[in-house]
Amino acid sequence: MSDTMNIEEYLAQGGVLTAPGNVPARYRGELMRLMSSFVDSELAASAGFADAINFAPGIKERIAASRITLEKADHAERVLNVMADFGTDVARYQTSHDWAARAARDADLGTARQAGDMRLSVFHYPVTGWADAVVMNVLQGLATGVQMTELTRVSYGPLAEVFRAIAPREARHAALGIEGLEKLGASDEVRAAAAYWRPRVAAGFGLAGSHRFATLLKFGLRHAPNEELLARWETLVGEHLAACGL
Amino acid sequence: MARFHPLKVTEIRRETRDAVVVTLVPRDEDRALFDFIQGQYLTFRRDFDGEEVRRSYSICAGLDDGWLKVGIKRVDGGAFSTWANENLAPGDEIDAMPPMGRFHTELDPTAARHYLGFAGGSGITPVLSIIRTVLAREPKSQFTLVYANRQISSIMFREELEDIKNTYLGRFSVIHVLEQEGQEIDLFTGRIDAEKMEGLFAHWLDASAIDTAFICGPEPMMLAIAAALRAHGMTDDQIKFELFASSQPGRAKARAVSQAAVTPGSGVMATVTLDGTTRSFEMARDGQSILEAAIAAKMDAPYSCKAGVCSTCRCKVLKGEVEMAVNHALEDYEVRAGYVLSCQAHPVSDDVIVTYDE
Repeated sequence: MSDTMNIEEYLAQGGVLTAPGNVPARYRGELMRLMSSFVDSELAASAGFADAINFAPGIKERIAASRITLEKADHAERVLNVMADFGTDVARYQTSHDWAARAARDADLGTARQAGDMRLSVFHYPVTGWADAVVMNVLQGLATGVQMTELTRVSYGPLAEVFRAIAPREARHAALGIEGLEKLGASDEVRAAAAYWRPRVAAGFGLAGSHRFATLLKFGLRHAPNEELLARWETLVGEHLAACGL
Repeated sequence: MARFHPLKVTEIRRETRDAVVVTLVPRDEDRALFDFIQGQYLTFRRDFDGEEVRRSYSICAGLDDGWLKVGIKRVDGGAFSTWANENLAPGDEIDAMPPMGRFHTELDPTAARHYLGFAGGSGITPVLSIIRTVLAREPKSQFTLVYANRQISSIMFREELEDIKNTYLGRFSVIHVLEQEGQEIDLFTGRIDAEKMEGLFAHWLDASAIDTAFICGPEPMMLAIAAALRAHGMTDDQIKFELFASSQPGRAKARAVSQAAVTPGSGVMATVTLDGTTRSFEMARDGQSILEAAIAAKMDAPYSCKAGVCSTCRCKVLKGEVEMAVNHALEDYEVRAGYVLSCQAHPVSDDVIVTYDE
């Protein structure tokens, strides 16, 4: 059984890589990029949600916000540990950016990353109050749920395992958001927040016809194109907002 | 960052014509570092003609065996495996990093699980570690191994597997599949492919009874087995993979350093390869990193932290000389092999050629 195959061919057929030592150079670059984008987004989300704890109107909401703040940081740490296998200096990485820093509420960042911080652009916008935090968490939580269908089957085995462990807890965060939204009901404040966050969360799905997608698909790091994921999210958002009278 | 520590070779046993089993002991002060989880591997390093070669080999001992053991099969043209098979002797010391790898499931002494393992050739090593460990630590669990080899004489650990069968009567079974030797049952002759897997499921294996499957072997075998397991209803989190250590990229040649003199004040000619496409452009001598120059030239180079910490932007210098302002992520041997963090790399020579593809 010594007959091996070209690693690109193996990946194209759905093969799984299992250690830094058997990862080709370009695959490594894209895998690291994918992981750092997730880590930065989770750290920024956790930092942003920390404020929501004090916006919370009651103890239940306070606990929900605390839990999200805690678990998102934990998820960042788990993925960062996979990056460590590739040489990332974990201690320095966690302090490399100000995760709580936010742009102006009316800034227009589009889909662009800011400087070396790889968080999705949506995590650069500030949360302004409880209703705003809940709506953002519902919309982004549903987006994460859609993204998880991709992340849990990335071709780097150790990372896919981490995502499979994280996915149910991320789903719980979105569910907590939906509970919160149902409680808030369809106020003007909620409507305004939905109008504000919807395009910004949508931007996180990236561009249609992305050139990078072809590379990621070849490596087994992505499977469904951006526009398909975006459409799935739009459907989910439509259903959930309608259920809340929005 | 993981560091190397010396391990002493206490025993070398010839396992087959082209494979040895090496028993290793850490220094007393390193003992805790070398506590391992079943299925993990050790990464060794050794200098060959001034070039550092690193190779990873799976630990084949169980947790309760009381020592570290690796199986090393000689690969044609492989400097490290040939050296280990022909020159390594008891009493020698060899540098190794602490155990790594996630090819395992959590042990549970009360569990009554059914594990299924697939090993191709020397892919048996981590699977053997798992077999020895789960049979000892989970007294109610059982393990079925499907083990593929060319011929009987190339089967590693054949006797040891027989011994395990006798020690754990009724809890361990092996199906040998031999590529080049006929057996009483036709199904057990040939390669493990989709058809063979269907045959195994039809008569010998019950996918619905399996809790976790472990696969370690060459790529085509892993693909065929994983596809068959999924087709029989197993989910991704029930299937654990370990790709052959031999699939690691070959060693890197030392970088070529240009001897050309630097002309101050002029730009630098940069040639950058990414995804098989090469682009040449002039970049600023000062104040611009190779990464920034590549991005300015509309190349989609990978990066993340831009602070020399994460190593996402790693590239290799093929010609010319660069200086890194900061490096928290690359190890010395990577730097010696010509790798740099492009976000921190500034050219020093008049021209520089780098690639993200190696």
